Amino acid sequence: MNFDIRRYVILAFIILVGFLYTFRLFYMQVVDDTWTLRAHEVAEKRIEITPPRGVVFDRNGMKIVSNRTYFNLMMVEDEIKHLDTAAFAKLIGWTVKDVRNRFKEIVKGEGTYYNKITGKRTSNYQKIRKYPFLKELTLEEISSIAPHLENFPGFYEKVTSMRNYPFKSGANIMGYLSEVNREEVESDRFYRPGDNIGRSGIEKFYERELRGRKGIKYIVTSALNNAIEPFADGKYDTTARQADPLKLGLDMIIQSYGEKLMKNKKGCIVAIEPSTGEILAMVSAPSYDPNMLVGKRNISENYPKLALDKNMPLFPRPLQAEYPPGSIFKLVQSLIGMQEGVITENSGFPCDKSMVGCHNHPSARNVAEAVQYSCNPYYYAVVRRIIQQGKKKRLFADAEYGLNKWHRYMTSFGLGKTLDADVSGQRPGLIPDAKYYDKWYGHHQWAFSTIRSISIGQGEVKLTPLHMANIAAIIANKGWYFVPHFVKSIGRKGPLVEYRTKKRTMVNAKHFWPVIEGMRRVVNENGGTARMARLEDIMICGKTGTVQNPHGEDHSVFIAFAPMNKPKIAIAVFVENAGFGGTWAAPIASLMIEKYIKRKITDKEKEKRILEAKLAYISTPGQ
Amino acid sequence: MRKEESLVEHLDWPLFITFMVMLVTGMATLYSVAYDDLHPAIYDVSMMYGKQLIWIVVSLFLGLIVFLIDSDIYRRFAFPIYGFTLLLLVIVLFMPAVHGARAWIGIGSMGIQPAEFAKISTALLLAKYISGISVKQQNISSVMTASAILLVPMALILLQPDAGTFVVFTSFLFVMYREGLTFDPIILSFVNSIPGVRFKETWVGSHFIPILFVMIFISVITLLLNSVQLDFFFLPFTVSGSIGVISTLLIFSILSILFLQRFSAKRERTRGTVIIVLGFILTSGLSFIVDNGFNSLATHQKDRIELFLGLREDPNGKDYNRNRAMAAVGSGGLLGKGYNKASVSSVESNHVPESETDFIFCPFAEEWGFVGIIFLFGLYLFMLIRIILIAERQRSIFNRVYAYCVGMILFYHFAINIGMNIGFAPVIGIPLPFFSYGGSSMMSFCMMMFILLKLDSQRKDVLR
Repeated sequence: MNFDIRRYVILAFIILVGFLYTFRLFYMQVVDDTWTLRAHEVAEKRIEITPPRGVVFDRNGMKIVSNRTYFNLMMVEDEIKHLDTAAFAKLIGWTVKDVRNRFKEIVKGEGTYYNKITGKRTSNYQKIRKYPFLKELTLEEISSIAPHLENFPGFYEKVTSMRNYPFKSGANIMGYLSEVNREEVESDRFYRPGDNIGRSGIEKFYERELRGRKGIKYIVTSALNNAIEPFADGKYDTTARQADPLKLGLDMIIQSYGEKLMKNKKGCIVAIEPSTGEILAMVSAPSYDPNMLVGKRNISENYPKLALDKNMPLFPRPLQAEYPPGSIFKLVQSLIGMQEGVITENSGFPCDKSMVGCHNHPSARNVAEAVQYSCNPYYYAVVRRIIQQGKKKRLFADAEYGLNKWHRYMTSFGLGKTLDADVSGQRPGLIPDAKYYDKWYGHHQWAFSTIRSISIGQGEVKLTPLHMANIAAIIANKGWYFVPHFVKSIGRKGPLVEYRTKKRTMVNAKHFWPVIEGMRRVVNENGGTARMARLEDIMICGKTGTVQNPHGEDHSVFIAFAPMNKPKIAIAVFVENAGFGGTWAAPIASLMIEKYIKRKITDKEKEKRILEAKLAYISTPGQ
Repeated sequence: MRKEESLVEHLDWPLFITFMVMLVTGMATLYSVAYDDLHPAIYDVSMMYGKQLIWIVVSLFLGLIVFLIDSDIYRRFAFPIYGFTLLLLVIVLFMPAVHGARAWIGIGSMGIQPAEFAKISTALLLAKYISGISVKQQNISSVMTASAILLVPMALILLQPDAGTFVVFTSFLFVMYREGLTFDPIILSFVNSIPGVRFKETWVGSHFIPILFVMIFISVITLLLNSVQLDFFFLPFTVSGSIGVISTLLIFSILSILFLQRFSAKRERTRGTVIIVLGFILTSGLSFIVDNGFNSLATHQKDRIELFLGLREDPNGKDYNRNRAMAAVGSGGLLGKGYNKASVSSVESNHVPESETDFIFCPFAEEWGFVGIIFLFGLYLFMLIRIILIAERQRSIFNRVYAYCVGMILFYHFAINIGMNIGFAPVIGIPLPFFSYGGSSMMSFCMMMFILLKLDSQRKDVLR
């Protein structure tokens, strides 16, 4: 038998394997880039250098948000040798069990990924990579740990930076940072797990402006994670750059002063520079020290406390608390009435208390007096004329027409909608229109008499304190405003473009004079409701309000601007459950105005009375 | 003097030059992969390349000795040589284990691996035994004897344990197949024991070995690709691994039918086509069955098979080697990263463990890319085909069998070693001939080649 033919079988094997392997290698090397990507993943390390976040200055150039150095204790599992867990736990002040759990937690925290090649879910955790074992240690904490780290190979210290708020105020304005969640990492390539992101306030609104540019270094690494050389001689590397500082229109002096005044009270203060729309102060009481929410450790400790506090310190009242405005609303009603021509500045209405109660005062003979006396029947008459103009034959249709017109005026004052200031979480308040009442009462089922309580700022009408302060600013400007905002400039750039366009109301400048005169009298004339706000040398124009509160004591509200002739500050003060507007809100506003304009307080008695007042039982956390 | 001249005259220069080119390429690759700035000299014996250079010089010296000695001694002393290596294989079992295997005799880096040399002695004894039997004597007893020659060292090697070398020993089955020593007599004795059946031979029995290997090859590839989704650039969708295997087989079948239609005689055409079609149906059926059979296995059984194939591992854990090796190979691209530029598989970066020994194909593929691969495969294919040609031109059966043994051993090493770098073979540690760092394998492969060259140069002196 001849077996010579079998040599071809063997040759066929050799050639077949040769061809198969060639095809396979062609596929692996030339066609498919899975393996190339995997090689990059394996051998090249992308080191991200996160710059410190941009700092924030106030209008006086004081650094109000800065960064402080902290330390992370990093670990590399592969380098840990003969770990004396008990000794290590003692060093960092933990129990042995905590240390063990932390190791498990780190592995778990890394999550898993779907490996295309093996078709299995695999942990992202790598024994050769560095992971933070402890985060955010202070200098004092690390200095007691670091000298002993040489006994624990595999553990290192790493410098990091976190926010610092030297003034301990403005928590509601600045907001806070916390670690990014998975959706944020997936939706924005800037973030890596463990990075921080602004969660509220300025930190959130200006996240992109504050986070800066990450530096990226590509290096070729060995399996032990040692850097071997820069990848491609550093051709693709970028340097980290800290963001340009933000300069706020905020005046930290009156901000902290306002927080001090509002201690043991619930409510808020909003102050605006009328000529620019810059927010000078925005106090939300009760508040908390913003440093309480810096870093993971602080957040996990303090956030639940703050969130569960029944006084709701985390609730940004100036932006989100929607209150009925009360008597301050009469200012706007007067303006609309005059612009609509249903009254003139000299229109008088008797103070007959048939429809609504009023306090004892002479009947108002003109708009200025009506503002001065805050006469309820007067404004019933005015708003009745605005709503029921007699333009339509049927009463209900007429009311619908009138209310919608009134609503358009209100909208031009920025009311009933969010003002779009540069902080997140603003509420629109409520200015009802015809549709709103149609829903309640049915189409053509209501008229002025149904909705009359809106005339004096009660009933359905709701404004936020920011709206109220903006009304004061509009009156100070006699008919226009800039959208209130915090940021004056970003680096060398001015404020965002939306804060540089003047918004005009539908009311002519001339109609503002009688209202301003009335406001002057409120503060400066005998019989005015805010005599306690009067200052010797600064002409304050204001209007008090007492908001009926079905749940308890009335709210005390006051809006004002000063000085009368060249307004520098417009302010709204809202004190919950404090009773009459002139008693609490007005003097607080007056102190704020004086502090802002003169930087000192002349009437120490007035200041003392406010500081000592306890209008709410508040356990102020952290202060 | 006459002898010297005849050696130069009768030496198979093409094979010798290919062999030398491979040694140089291998040395250059090792120098690149293990390069250290502090020890740049290639002869620095504190470095791997310095040591490897010593091994190469020693091997060349041994080769010179082989060239000077008359080749007849291999035939004559085949049995004592075989016996001596068996003795070493027994002694090695009492040596301290290195990396879990008792494979080394000697101390530290100066040890030798008897298993490497056992390949040569087994090849020699097999050649001697097969050359001593006539075709008519090919019965159960001769098959059993030949198998026993293989099985004894294989058993000893498995005890070390050294799975890689154990698998390499099955390459001798191909040599037996070539020489007609198949398992047909055994199968016949079973088949003919059925009353009324009287076969002279069975096709399956005669071609048992290649059929078996085709089956193993296709099964292993199917299993390795079982959980992989292949993503071809020209297809808008991914295909599962087994479909990929079957379509590759289909393409090959169609190509070979076209080849057949074009080049073969008319009479052969129909028969060949039928064989290819049948072969395709059977192999793709096998692939399909293996794939589905594997999927229907219980998890723990799957685990066991995956463990054997080296799949049961995660890329950052135990499947490290394969995953990193494939990443290194794949990242080479068309033209490679350039000499001394392997970023994944260099010894310094150490992403691919054993990149200087079992995974030395990685740095080569990474540095030279697909173009380098074509060159390397060209060398290998040329070498293997040349060895088969040399084998077939021998007058002596001893020489022919030995040549086939060398060819098949090298083929096995190339196929399995490169296969495990590209995900086509389970990760069993066997060196890449002439490339991998290591004295024993270098010396054994060189000796093997020199003996072959010597035998070939004296082929005309032999009458049998």
